[in-house]
Amino acid sequence: MNAPDRYERFVVPEGTKKVSYERDTKIINAASFTIEREDHTVGNILRMQLHRDENVLFAGYKLPHPLQYKIIVRIHTTSQSSPMQAYNQAINDLDKELDHLKNAFETEVAKHSREF
Amino acid sequence: MEGASYQRFPTVKIREMKDDYCKFELHSTDASMANALRRVMIAEVPTVAIDLVEIEVNSSVLNDEFIAHRLGLIPLTSDRAMSMRFSRDCDACDGDGQCEFCSVEFHLRAKCINDQTLDVTSKDLYSSDHTVVPVDFSDSGSGIENSEQRGIIIVKLRRGQELRLRAIARKGIGKDHAKWSPAATVTFMYEPEIHINEDMMDTLTLDEKKSWVESSPTKVFDIDPNTQQVVVVDPEAYTYDDEVIKKAEAMGKSGLVEIYAKEDSFIFTVESTGAIKASQLVLNAIDILKQKLDAVRLSEDTVEADEQFGELGAHMRGG
Ligand SMILES: [Zn+2]
Repeated sequence: MNAPDRYERFVVPEGTKKVSYERDTKIINAASFTIEREDHTVGNILRMQLHRDENVLFAGYKLPHPLQYKIIVRIHTTSQSSPMQAYNQAINDLDKELDHLKNAFETEVAKHSREF
Repeated sequence: MEGASYQRFPTVKIREMKDDYCKFELHSTDASMANALRRVMIAEVPTVAIDLVEIEVNSSVLNDEFIAHRLGLIPLTSDRAMSMRFSRDCDACDGDGQCEFCSVEFHLRAKCINDQTLDVTSKDLYSSDHTVVPVDFSDSGSGIENSEQRGIIIVKLRRGQELRLRAIARKGIGKDHAKWSPAATVTFMYEPEIHINEDMMDTLTLDEKKSWVESSPTKVFDIDPNTQQVVVVDPEAYTYDDEVIKKAEAMGKSGLVEIYAKEDSFIFTVESTGAIKASQLVLNAIDILKQKLDAVRLSEDTVEADEQFGELGAHMRGG
């Protein structure tokens, strides 16, 4: 039968990189990151975080096709930064934001559990 | 060279918390983060659900695959799921997915021996692991006093019919199959900000005020019986339907009310299937999202390869 493989949607195939990086051939400080087996969940938070970086001139992501389980994140920065630096910074900032959110939520849960 | 940090510091306020329900406010972050959390809660927080069924005897009116499907949809307590292995990653049972590290075995035996119809329910499933059992709804639904403890009905048997099977439950995520989703519903809304133009409102007669207040399909506004002034009674009842704005325009009073959606404040409603607590679902979603971000970090070899060839490599490829 032609049923697609069960894990195809979220398991990176062997021999394929999770993230691959390609510089733009014509524009300096511009690059594309192809992220395998990710979707709007990661794509959109990365894009919005990159928009907070003042050295980022352009940041966008696309899901090329619903049956191709990958996203492409494109970043263009000023000469003060680089796409790779902005990308790493965005991930670090999101990671720290989630740490902060987790603490905030746990504190609230503890407060509520005591009340009842 | 480390760039400046653009990190945000979100705040949370829990309004209501029950085992299977949680309502909270999320402030100082944007819609992308709120939506990522919602998406992860629905599709990527793992639970345990029946995934393989071996039927020994089935003389019920439902066919084997129908019963297997119904078994899969029964929520199982999944507090252990975050630390369990996916069968596909399990090296203890080389892919067969039936070892103690990545699966839980269930047995069901039921036979109807009299003229009374026998209900086969989730309570007839016997688990090999006391931490993974069908979710018990009898004590959580405190509103309904039910003396008889009843599980989820799987099939009904008449005299002489029998069902005997072995089932394997595995860890999985909602993206694979909805049976693994721990979320019944997860929604968020923007917190609305409602400004009434009081000067313009004062020019309205009481009847005009009444008809304007009633133009809203949900009860957002009301008239104070003492002062006869229009007041906002429940801003969150507003569904962004624009009806009151259209009504004001139709009355020739455009600008009577201005309603904005606060872009950094969200009200979440999380309902769990019972597999994990609603508050735990949120915490697990945060962990999963962190893991996902960690997985998309650039690998060392990618960085090295770029440093080696750099701009030159890119331009050579470009010709
Ligand atoms: Zn195993």
